[in-house]
Amino acid sequence: MSWWTDRHVFLLAVIAYGLSAVYSLFLWRKGFRKDDYINYGVLLAGMILQTKAMFMRGLTLKECPVHNLYEAMTFVDWTIVAVYLVIGLWPPVRYLGAFAAPVIFAIGVFALMPGLDPAHTGLTPLAANDLVSLHAALTLLSYGAFGLSSVAGVMYLSQEHDLKFHKLRAVFAVMPPIDRLEKITSRLLWAGFVLLTAGLALIPFLLKGRPEFHVASDPKMIWSALVWCLYLALLVLHGRFAQSGRKFAWGAVASFAFVVLTFWGVNLLSPTHKF
Amino acid sequence: MPLVVIGLSHHSSPVTVRERFAFAEAALPGALQELRDAGLAREAVILSTCNRVEIYAESDLPEGQAITRLRQFLLDYHKVQEPPGVEMYARGGRQGLEHLFKVACGLDSMVLGETEILGQLKKAYETSLRHRHTGGVLNKAFQKAFHVAKKIRTETNIQRGSVSVGSVAVELAERLFSTLSEHPVMVIGAGETSEKTARALLSRGAHSILVSNRSHERAVELARELDGRAVSFDDWAAEFPRIDILISSTSAPHCILDRARLEPLMKARKNRPLLLIDIAVPRDIDPSVNFLDNVYLYNIDDLQAIAGDYLRQRREEIARCEAIIAEKAGAMMRPASSSQAGAAAPLPGLGKASA
Repeated sequence: MSWWTDRHVFLLAVIAYGLSAVYSLFLWRKGFRKDDYINYGVLLAGMILQTKAMFMRGLTLKECPVHNLYEAMTFVDWTIVAVYLVIGLWPPVRYLGAFAAPVIFAIGVFALMPGLDPAHTGLTPLAANDLVSLHAALTLLSYGAFGLSSVAGVMYLSQEHDLKFHKLRAVFAVMPPIDRLEKITSRLLWAGFVLLTAGLALIPFLLKGRPEFHVASDPKMIWSALVWCLYLALLVLHGRFAQSGRKFAWGAVASFAFVVLTFWGVNLLSPTHKF
Repeated sequence: MPLVVIGLSHHSSPVTVRERFAFAEAALPGALQELRDAGLAREAVILSTCNRVEIYAESDLPEGQAITRLRQFLLDYHKVQEPPGVEMYARGGRQGLEHLFKVACGLDSMVLGETEILGQLKKAYETSLRHRHTGGVLNKAFQKAFHVAKKIRTETNIQRGSVSVGSVAVELAERLFSTLSEHPVMVIGAGETSEKTARALLSRGAHSILVSNRSHERAVELARELDGRAVSFDDWAAEFPRIDILISSTSAPHCILDRARLEPLMKARKNRPLLLIDIAVPRDIDPSVNFLDNVYLYNIDDLQAIAGDYLRQRREEIARCEAIIAEKAGAMMRPASSSQAGAAAPLPGLGKASA
C-alpha cells in the first residue's frame, strides 16, 4: 500500500482525539460524576496510532522526526498525550483527559494543515546530527509539558470557580482537590522548564563554527529566551512570592497560549528553523 | 413456614416507644434462645438499633399464628402492656424478604441510603449464627441481603454523597485539600453543629483542632473531647495564620470576620487556600470575604442545599433499587431450576409471596 503513509496513520490518531474531544463534551455536560475509562481508552488508542505514525516517519528518515512544523506539532501532541496517559492512571486525575482532548485534537488538526510537511530534503540550515535532534526533541518535549500544565491549569480554574460560586458540580464531580491540581500544574511546569533549559543549553554547541548565525538576530532564539524567562518568572512568582493558585493557573494557560499562537510565525521568521 | 419479619421502626413508632423494645447487645443470645425454646421459631435473628427493633424468624407455625405469637413475645419480653402508639408491622414470604433487602440497603433507614445499618445487620446475623440460631433459610436470606446491598451500592447512587451538614463540610474540605491531616482546623463557638462538623473532619484524618469559645471552660472541655487545644476567644486571630479550615458558630449578633480583617490574615497565611464554614445564624462571616483569592466561604444554607441535592439524587434512585430488590427476591422465591425439575414449589422455607 504505497499510498498509505504515516500521515494517514496520524490522521486516524487525530480522528480518535476528535472523538475523545466530542465525548469530553458529554462528560462535561454530565458533570464528570463517574470515573470514566472510555475517554482514557480512546486517547490511548489515538496515542498508539500516533506512535506508529511517528515510528514510520522516523524509520523513513532514519532519525528523530523533528524537521518541520508538522513533525514538531505531532511531537508536542504526542508528549501531551503520553504524559496524560501516565498521570491519568490515577483515577482522580483521569478527567484531565477530558480537558486535554480538545487541545490535543486542535494541535493535531493544525499539524495536518497543508504546507506544514514539506518533503525532507536534508538541506537544513544547521547540519542534521544527533545534537540537533536532541535539541529539537528536548524543546518539543518541554512544550508538551507546558501544554499539559496549561490543561491542568484550566481544570484548576474550572474546579476553583465551581467551589467559589458554590456550584453543585464542585462536590459532585470526580475531580482531584485543587491543591493537588496546583501541584500537578507546578510539577509539569518545572519539568517543561528543565527540558527547555536543557534544549536551549545545546544552542552554543549547535552554532559552533557557524558565524553566519547570531543568537541576537534570530527571532526564534529571542523568542525562545522570552519563553524561558516567562516560565521562570511564573515559577519564581509562585514559589517565592506565594502567588495565588488562580493567578498561577491563569499564568500557565496564558503562557502556553502565547507559545502556541506565536510558534508558527516565529519559525517562519527564523533563518535557523527554515526547512 | 416462610420467613417472617415483625418489628417496629422510626416509620411506625416514636423513640419513646422504640426505646422500650430495644434489646441490649448482651441480652440477644438469651432472647434468641427463649424464642426457640418457646417453639416460636426454628431460626431467628434479632436486629436492635436506635431506629428499629425487628425479629426475622423461620417457624413451624402458620404465618398468621407465628406473627401473633412473635408480637406477644416482644411485648412479654420487654414487659410492655401494649401502650397506645405501638405500631408493629409484620411481613411474610416475599414481602419479608424484600423488607430485609431494603433494610440492608438503607432504603428503610431514617437517612436514606445510609450504610451503618448494613454493619448493624451483619452484626445481628453474626450473633445469631455464632449461637447457632440460624439455619438454611435465614443463612440464605441474609447472605443474599448482603449481596443485594453490595450490588445496589455499586450499581446505583443510593449511597452517594453527603446528606448531613458535617459530612458536606468534610466533602468540601476534601475538594480543597488532598489530605486533611496536614490542614489545621479551628472551631469558633462550641455549639452542637460545629462539634459534629469537627468530629466529621476528625473522622476523615484531621487531627490538629483548635477550639475557641466565649466561655473558655466550654472551649477547654470540647478541645479535650476532640483531642485538640483551647484558644482564648480574644486570641483566635493570632492562631489564624496556622489554620486552613475554620468552622464558626458563635451566637454573636454581628460578623466576627470581615474582609478588612481577613485580608492581612490571608497575607500572613501566604495565600494558602482557606475553607470557611459559617454555620451561625446570624452569620459570623461577612459574605464579601468570598471575593478574596483562595477563600472559600460556605454558610449553613449552602451546606444544606448540597445535602438536600444529594438526598434528592438518592430519592431518584429508589425506583432502581426497588427494581433490583424485586428481581433478586423474585429469583430467590422461584424454584432453583424450574426448567429442570418442572416443579413450581418455592425454595424450602422461603414460602410463596404474600398477597
